[in-house]
Amino acid sequence: MRHFLVMTAFAGFAAIVFGIVAKDSKRDQVIYGLKVFAEFLVIGLVLGWILYFLPF
Amino acid sequence: MLGRLDLSKADNEESEETAPAKAWVMGIAGWLIPGMGHLLQGKWGRALLLGGAVWACFILGFLMGGNLFQYDGSLLRLPPMIGNLGTGLLYIVPWFMGIGFSDDVQRAALPTFEFGWTFLIVAGLLNYLSMLDAFDIAAGRKS
Repeated sequence: MRHFLVMTAFAGFAAIVFGIVAKDSKRDQVIYGLKVFAEFLVIGLVLGWILYFLPF
Repeated sequence: MLGRLDLSKADNEESEETAPAKAWVMGIAGWLIPGMGHLLQGKWGRALLLGGAVWACFILGFLMGGNLFQYDGSLLRLPPMIGNLGTGLLYIVPWFMGIGFSDDVQRAALPTFEFGWTFLIVAGLLNYLSMLDAFDIAAGRKS
């Protein structure tokens, strides 16, 4: 659970900065930030499952 | 005719030179103190969010037991040091005070040690982006 919380915090910080820096309008910033946040979480979880099945 | 063209060129060059001077100051301010580059331009919301994200990332990294990197002759330490250096004074002050650079056994044994130094590097990298944003706003490339 601690790992997930840390990953969520990391995704949150990165999403805030990426969203603000990459887009101009507030609406686009929020949408892009949420997209980046979700992508970090989903890719992190998927990678976690893939690595779980690796024997080394 | 040619004289006119030359004058307009000179005017353009002058206006292009005045904007970057301010932009450099804002960029350096944003690098030295995360959020300051936007704060000086009256961009309170951006300063709070960008600066807040960098500061929080850095403080959490330290609380999780992470250590900062410095170049000691090993090339492998150079990339993380460049990342750490992105936090400006947050890196320079501990460097002068000698705080946070030791990767002793007790710290390394913490379950959050790896997260810690990763957060410290990411804080620096995020601040590079924030610094460039402050630079672009001051240069008139962004609103």
